[in-house]
Amino acid sequence: MKKYIQNLKLSLSLIFGVIVLSSCEKVIDLELKNADPLIVIEGTVSNQSENHFVRISKTIPFDQTTSFNGVKGAQVTLKSSAGLSVAFTEISNGIYRSPRFRGTPGLTYTLDVLADGKIYSAESTMPSPVIPDSIGFKTLSFFGNSNIYPTVYYRDPPKIQNQYRYILKINGKLQGDLVFEDRFNDGNAVSDVIIYDGEDDIKSGDIVEIEMQSIDRNVFKYFFALSQIGGNGGPPVAPANPESNFSNGALGIFNACTKSTKSVMLK
Amino acid sequence: MPFSKNVLLFGFLLFFCSFSVNAQENYTINGVVKDSLSGETLIGVTLKFSAISQSGTSTNAYGFYSYKLSPGEYNLSVSYIGYRSINRKVSINSDIRLDLNMLPDNTLEEIVISSEKRNDNVVNAQMGVAKINLSEIRNVPVLFGERDVLKTLQLLPGIKSAGEGNSGFYVRGGSTDQNLILLDEAPVYNASHLLGFFSTFNSDAIKDVSVFKGGMPAQYGGRLSSVLDIRMNDGNKKEFTAEGGIGLISSRLKVEGPIIKDKSSFMISGRRTYADAFLALSKDSSINKNTLYFYDLNAKVNYQIDDKNTLYLSGYFGRDELGLSETFGFDWGNATSTLRWNHLFSNRLFSNTSLIYSNYNYVIENFLEENNFRVNSSIRDMNLKQDFQLALNNSHNIRFGLDLIHHTIAPGNITASATSSVNEITIEKRKGSEIAAYISDEWEVNDKLNLVYGLRASSFYLFGPGVFPTFDKDGNITSSKTYDAGKLVKSYFNLEPRVSASLQLNEFSSLKSSYTRNTQNLHLMSNSTASSPTDLYIMNSNNVKPEIADQIALGYFRNFNNDNYEFSTELYFKQLQNQIDYRSGTDLRGNTNVEADLLFGDGRAFGIELFLKKRFGKLNGWVGYTLSKTERKFNDIDQGRWFNAKQDRTHDLSLVGIYKAAERWTFSSTFVFNTGNAVTFPAGKYQLNNKTVYYYPERNSNRMPNYHRLDLSATLEGKPGKKLQSSWSFGIYNMYNRKNAYSIDFRDDPDNPTRTQAVRTTLFGIIPSITWNFKF
Repeated sequence: MKKYIQNLKLSLSLIFGVIVLSSCEKVIDLELKNADPLIVIEGTVSNQSENHFVRISKTIPFDQTTSFNGVKGAQVTLKSSAGLSVAFTEISNGIYRSPRFRGTPGLTYTLDVLADGKIYSAESTMPSPVIPDSIGFKTLSFFGNSNIYPTVYYRDPPKIQNQYRYILKINGKLQGDLVFEDRFNDGNAVSDVIIYDGEDDIKSGDIVEIEMQSIDRNVFKYFFALSQIGGNGGPPVAPANPESNFSNGALGIFNACTKSTKSVMLK
Repeated sequence: MPFSKNVLLFGFLLFFCSFSVNAQENYTINGVVKDSLSGETLIGVTLKFSAISQSGTSTNAYGFYSYKLSPGEYNLSVSYIGYRSINRKVSINSDIRLDLNMLPDNTLEEIVISSEKRNDNVVNAQMGVAKINLSEIRNVPVLFGERDVLKTLQLLPGIKSAGEGNSGFYVRGGSTDQNLILLDEAPVYNASHLLGFFSTFNSDAIKDVSVFKGGMPAQYGGRLSSVLDIRMNDGNKKEFTAEGGIGLISSRLKVEGPIIKDKSSFMISGRRTYADAFLALSKDSSINKNTLYFYDLNAKVNYQIDDKNTLYLSGYFGRDELGLSETFGFDWGNATSTLRWNHLFSNRLFSNTSLIYSNYNYVIENFLEENNFRVNSSIRDMNLKQDFQLALNNSHNIRFGLDLIHHTIAPGNITASATSSVNEITIEKRKGSEIAAYISDEWEVNDKLNLVYGLRASSFYLFGPGVFPTFDKDGNITSSKTYDAGKLVKSYFNLEPRVSASLQLNEFSSLKSSYTRNTQNLHLMSNSTASSPTDLYIMNSNNVKPEIADQIALGYFRNFNNDNYEFSTELYFKQLQNQIDYRSGTDLRGNTNVEADLLFGDGRAFGIELFLKKRFGKLNGWVGYTLSKTERKFNDIDQGRWFNAKQDRTHDLSLVGIYKAAERWTFSSTFVFNTGNAVTFPAGKYQLNNKTVYYYPERNSNRMPNYHRLDLSATLEGKPGKKLQSSWSFGIYNMYNRKNAYSIDFRDDPDNPTRTQAVRTTLFGIIPSITWNFKF
């Protein structure tokens, strides 16, 4: 179902393409405002036995070289609804790491960040895991362009609202970060086609790695809103910052998720 | 039907007896004004009766007029743009019926020097109205040479294009869904083809276009900003004719003629694009299996039973079809039909009864085997309108009536085969009725003062069956109630006063002023900034209140140079309540709880419009300029601050010139300039999972670049006198190839991913067009 909007997008570009032979793109200079730097927090805790990371940074002006503008000296604490409390340690500029532990599905986790004298808190509930059965490939052709897209096969748990996030890497390079939900296929054997927006096409011999996450509703809405800003089929709202689950005006998201990763090579 | 006639008349006369005191000694003159060649009735023809002072009336939408005069001799002058004026004497010593035939006059060349005044625009109390002349539509250059009512309309002050090449429009700070678009009285829900590049109105089939952007008469309601009232041709009552054209994008054909001469006629007009014909030429199977086209069909028949009764049946059917090989299909379109009965209860009481059906739907199909599905969505209206026009005496014209609409909205019905991973889902239908009653009086108070005042009472009823949740301000369900079929869920009632007045300063200038309140019970949820086929309408509900607009306008109207030049300026201020926006991250597709994602707020708009038109002569045309401000305010957006609405454009200028250079050559040109739309650009960036994400500041605090464009066209008429008349139209869109920004997007520089760049997309550079038109 998700795909239909992708198809719609393609069909729109088809209309534009056919009728508007003269449509063109150009890089332009634009005077943009510069907002004061704002704090951005990206935190993840998963059901894997691993180190979990929280990245804290500040926004930078649009015309500056893109870099991770890390915030040092923050205090990062993770608590669970089962009474667990874990302190994160700063391992490099703005990157904070927990000791190795395994998160528990069903628990609600609270992340508290004390940075520059302000406390930012977020809550996320770890959903039950959903594991992909297999990964396949699909060739879709739209208007003379044939492309190969990875497809994730799994069974969606019935009668529960599920949300999924896929992080796609081709030969180790990030190519896509997409979210799906089960609104139209609850409880079914599902195949989600990952129509990604990265640069690289998938060729024979490429290693395709997909991390499948089960995410909570707020995390889904955050990433969905983020994809809408890119013009992906939402109502024509002016682009706005996606609604963060952090308090106190921080940007970013705290995601308690279950995850599993699968790699395949395209023959 | 003598009984109902008497009951009705009695009721009305009782109601208006205060007006009728001195009515007895007067007589009534009435009749129908027609085109002498085709027998088409003419709308808005001015009739002036002069003896001591000049007074008069004009024909209604069916070409009918009625006027009360005291006995005596009068000079009657009848004038209508594009037709030869009629001047004749009439003596009134009894009630008379006088039908008039006017001869078309395409020259427009000479200024007819006569005592007759063409200053209706100055005298009439109505303000905020614009009429488009069909010869103007024919001559104004347009994209791909496709004549388009909606795009010509956008060249008038106060009416702005919704985007490059788009047939959607904004009127005085309203959004596109706040325009009521009527085709032979039937509401048209999606007035565009191919994502808005073409309007659904085939100009061959159109007789008259008027747009009300302020001072809305009481007989219209249901939308906040404007009414676009489009009337189709009735069909030639005298002889068979055919006309058509072959263009780059589409071909069209219209056939019309008498069924019974002078009594009954028909008109049928069709159009189809053939962009996909080129696709079939491709050898590539992934291209030649695609389809992409639209077509539309207008048809009308009428039958004049006798002097007192006429029946009209008209219909429109249009469809866009899009198919991508064997993976995906998408089609959408409108169907409307109108059955009308004109009846004269007496020589002063004109009645029109209309039974209207309108349907818009779209179907999306995915044929991929594991997730095939089919989505069907529709909005359907059944509408009964009863309108009475009573010429009470020579200073009061009363209009009153009823407007009943029943809406059925099926937001989405998803079906899929058993092997598909997609579940079958039906989003509940919603049923609601609008019932409105109105009365208005056009009152010539004295030689100087004209008034139109009226009241529209509009009510809305939402009915079961269904589950109706109530949401708090954060979008969470607080309660939910189930209603049986036909049970009332929620109702709203609004009174809409409508007043406009003109004070004539002298015979060529006047001051006008108006106050109107409008309400709107249907609201568009749009998936895209362009006109989108997947547009979804919702009704008022327990969560959604009617939108309300109050508008005050003040105007100065003046004609120069023997009415050859007309000038007007209007100042307006508008206040809007219960405006709708979305929460961020809203997904309208197959959403069972759309209302949870809506935000409600206020709006305000003000502006000044200037308009100067040269009406006659070899060179004619107009200049329109608007200076305006449009803002919105929502508690959950930017902490409740006022922000610029996306349609806010400070300056908006259009120039239109039509020059008849020689007997056979006509040249025309348009130039438009407007401030770029209010948009939101990033004010910073950050990294999230190694991707660049932009930080957005306050909403719509940036501007797109200024937009400007020059278009030219030339028409060569064939040699006159032949049976087959043909003409060639040549056009150039965007003459100096201005790269106007359709959108500006931001991305990582592909050559250096650590840099970020702004990318401007231009839709149309310079585009030539050619069309061959014929008529026989």
